[in-house]
Amino acid sequence: MTMATDSSTPNSDFQFPPLYNFPPFFTLQPVLATRKSQLQSWSSLIQSYCRHHRLWTLTLVDALETPLFNNTKLSRRLSLRDARAIIDWMTTPEGDSRAEWIPTTGKKPSRSDEYSEAGKCWIYWKRPEEWASALEEWVDRTGQKGTVLTLYEITEGDATRREEFWGMDSTLLAKSLAVCVKRGKAQVFGAEGSEGVKFF
Amino acid sequence: MDRPRRTPGLSSLSSSRIASSQYASHGASLRNQSEQSLSTQLEVFQSLLHNFAVTHAKDIRANPAFRAEFARMCSALGVDFLASSHHREKGKDGGSGSIWAQMLGSSVNDFYFNLGVLIVEECRATRAENGGLISVAEIRQRIQRGRGIGGGMEVSDDDITRAVESLSPLGSCFSIMKIGHRSLIRSVPKELNTDQSTVLEAIQVLGYVTVSMLQLNLSWDRPRAVAVVEDLMADSLVWVDTQAGENEYWSPAYMSGPATGNG
Repeated sequence: MTMATDSSTPNSDFQFPPLYNFPPFFTLQPVLATRKSQLQSWSSLIQSYCRHHRLWTLTLVDALETPLFNNTKLSRRLSLRDARAIIDWMTTPEGDSRAEWIPTTGKKPSRSDEYSEAGKCWIYWKRPEEWASALEEWVDRTGQKGTVLTLYEITEGDATRREEFWGMDSTLLAKSLAVCVKRGKAQVFGAEGSEGVKFF
Repeated sequence: MDRPRRTPGLSSLSSSRIASSQYASHGASLRNQSEQSLSTQLEVFQSLLHNFAVTHAKDIRANPAFRAEFARMCSALGVDFLASSHHREKGKDGGSGSIWAQMLGSSVNDFYFNLGVLIVEECRATRAENGGLISVAEIRQRIQRGRGIGGGMEVSDDDITRAVESLSPLGSCFSIMKIGHRSLIRSVPKELNTDQSTVLEAIQVLGYVTVSMLQLNLSWDRPRAVAVVEDLMADSLVWVDTQAGENEYWSPAYMSGPATGNG
């Protein structure tokens, strides 16, 4: 079994919950009530894992080899089908809309099995609207209302190094800013690749 | 009563009357004496217990080991300080309240009731996961970790047992059951049958069971073993692990058991 070398394993080790050491956790339970609680537990594990490692998306095929889905100590792993079922559940309102499939092709398939085998998805440990609020709060806190900010300095700048959105995926940032715009809290302008944003 | 000598004549009548009245008065005075000494003893005992409780109230509240010892002492003396707090309302018109409420400022009673509430919350929160069966040790860890800010308190297994017992007026929903050498809190009004208890006991010893293990060790027929684990699974009392060749059945009630460690 090869451990995927993860480039994004900073600082301290991630603390897995006790369930992670419970072998049946890696088999989706056939009983509905149990399964529901299991999905919930997986969802919060995935979210906190991604938050800890600052992952914005998961590609299931690759993620299956990471410690998140593969407990080498127990030699238990989540199957692709089960992982997909969990992400599927996370995309539903019942799963608190904590994930979203990313279409690989131009058209928008309606079901997950229509996606390519890779199965790439957003993991929303904060949803775009929550990121929007975080951004607004940051602008407010640092008194940058009315200033033009580049998208680069928001996610890569030294000033935001301590913020949760530092290093954020640019597509997700655009999604979040779109929410700000919709709320009438910001304006995005400039050409593709060199956009700026102004909060008010 | 043997009279030493029977006096002849009428005087025997009066003398026997005098004797019996003297016996009666002596008996009364004896009873009086012992009653007095008993009540002084009780007073002394009460005041000592009071002093003890007052001087150590802080320790009783703060130190789980001390609290357990105190509770053990009380139960050895036949005093149930949890039960006595139920009379607190009556005490209002009597003006005195329960002696324990007086002594400890009712904080020890309240401590157990609060703990009871926390236990109910934890049981409810984990019910979907474990089918309403959770080990006392697991509950203790969860409560010590706490959920809210400033949450988490020092409790012992003994405290939890006592708090669960204090929930008994609420009906039969919460109770402590013993499977093997472990205490579990049962928060669903479901009785386990013997087969189910046997399987849970086996899981506790081995960590998991498989159908063939049950067949071999308990010499059950296959349908019987299958039926029991399926029943347990339907109640979320065991989870199935299909990645080990033969299906293994694990109990989430023992999750914090032998197979812990950080991944």
